[in-house]
Amino acid sequence: MTLLAEIALVVLGGIALSVCLALLPGAPPGRRRSQPPVPERPSQLVALERLAITAGSNAVQAHAYLRPRLVEIASHRLVAHGQTLDRMPDALGRELLGDRLWEIVRPERPFPADRQGPGVGWQELAAMLDVLERL
Amino acid sequence: MSASLSPRVHGLLSLAAFAVIAALATGRPELALMAAPFLILGGAGLVAAGQPCLRVEVAVERTRLLEGEVVAATVRLRNEGARAVDVDLAPARTSQLVLEPSGSLAVHVSGNDEVEVDFTARAARWGAHALGPLRVRARDPLGVAVWEGTLGPRVDLRAFPREQRLRELVAPIRTRPFLGSHVARSRGEGIEFADVRPFRVGDRVRQVNWRATARRGALQVNDRHPEQSSDVVLLLDTFAEARDQASGTLDSAVRAAAGLARAHLARRDRVGVVDFGGTLHWLEPAFGTRQLYRIVDALLASDIAFSYAWRDAASIPLRVLPPGALVLAITPLLDQRSIALVTDLRRRGCDLIVVEVSPFDHIGPGPSASDAVAYRLWRLQREELRARLQALGIGVAVWTRDGSLGPALEGVNAFRRSARHALPV
Repeated sequence: MTLLAEIALVVLGGIALSVCLALLPGAPPGRRRSQPPVPERPSQLVALERLAITAGSNAVQAHAYLRPRLVEIASHRLVAHGQTLDRMPDALGRELLGDRLWEIVRPERPFPADRQGPGVGWQELAAMLDVLERL
Repeated sequence: MSASLSPRVHGLLSLAAFAVIAALATGRPELALMAAPFLILGGAGLVAAGQPCLRVEVAVERTRLLEGEVVAATVRLRNEGARAVDVDLAPARTSQLVLEPSGSLAVHVSGNDEVEVDFTARAARWGAHALGPLRVRARDPLGVAVWEGTLGPRVDLRAFPREQRLRELVAPIRTRPFLGSHVARSRGEGIEFADVRPFRVGDRVRQVNWRATARRGALQVNDRHPEQSSDVVLLLDTFAEARDQASGTLDSAVRAAAGLARAHLARRDRVGVVDFGGTLHWLEPAFGTRQLYRIVDALLASDIAFSYAWRDAASIPLRVLPPGALVLAITPLLDQRSIALVTDLRRRGCDLIVVEVSPFDHIGPGPSASDAVAYRLWRLQREELRARLQALGIGVAVWTRDGSLGPALEGVNAFRRSARHALPV
């Protein structure tokens, strides 16, 4: 009985090892094909995406970085109306651009006294762009 | 070729060690006997393994093709050793060269024998694609030893861009006093009528306008505009590009440059190319079919080279920009240096056209709501930039992926007619 059990054990062990042998890899696995690199977004757009967030953080960001861009765009758009931003009367500016956008782009706008004051959030910026696109 | 042990050897040794340890732990010698086959297999494999002697040749149906075309290729693998080997072949792939069948090719080569493997290659993008040398991994039949390396000659497939066919071109303001297809502003021998003037000594009888002579009572002759050629310089902006997974603005720019070069050379213009980016390459203006091939070859090497170096118009050799040349800047206007360059060239009195390859075809708004707002702001900013360039007298042709370049150039011609006061005379 003991001899039979030993024979069975050896046979089973041999079968198990044969299975292990069959499962062994025959060659080194090939290098995993690298994923195609994700294309980089243009730096101009990345800077604007960052600006859309940071302009809402405080008044200095909005005045120093967002305002010059809005002034350039508004000046270009107003040319179609025969207007220039520098010589535009306050009332006409408010009429064409709306109170909030005019407040940002008006020529004599001073540097914000309260540096930590409210900036221009992206929702507010979207509303300003609506006005500019309609011009 | 570098040799190494296959992972199978590590597995065999592990199994043998496991069996020996089990035998020692249980005190049963039968288990140690089970380790013997693994040790024998590994040892036999190591003894029988020898450095394979392989030769690889790559034959390609043709090495020049248009992008998108397919070529058939054959790899001939010769085993000059006495032992058989299993070989995995992997042609050096780029993402722009699509092979069929894809992945590595597994073949078994007997000793002193030769096998041939056929496959096809499709150039998904223009450029010079290296097909070979091939990466080769050879194994002995027992799979114990592995040799890896690169074999075979380098075979370059040159895929030429599919060009934009152009009928209308931008008329240059200045021409050269050589025969061509552009109606010059000056007066001389030609077909296009210019004016009627009084007869001068030396005028030919065939120039006399008899109707005007009869009306005015004195000899009048017709003046005509001569047909002349011009110098054209294609300025390819390789500072930056907008790219999606499939294509980018540089792909379109190269296609436009090839089409413009062919069209201008067909009109007997001298055409040169400046690859203006992180690295500066140029081809001096010349004419003829040979120049077209030179230009296309130069364009194939174009690539975006990242660089912080500031370059301006002074970086371009003077002989590449002849006085009075029409400069066609093909650019996505994504880099401040390229915007500064076109502005600078215009301020120096260059007759300049910007072919703006639209990046909006390749880049969409980001995932968040604030990104969408930034994208709208970017669009408005680019419109403002375009208006600023036009105010300087630079004609801007916006070329989108879906549209043809011809209508965009016609728009530039219309702009140049209306903005004549802003252009150099």
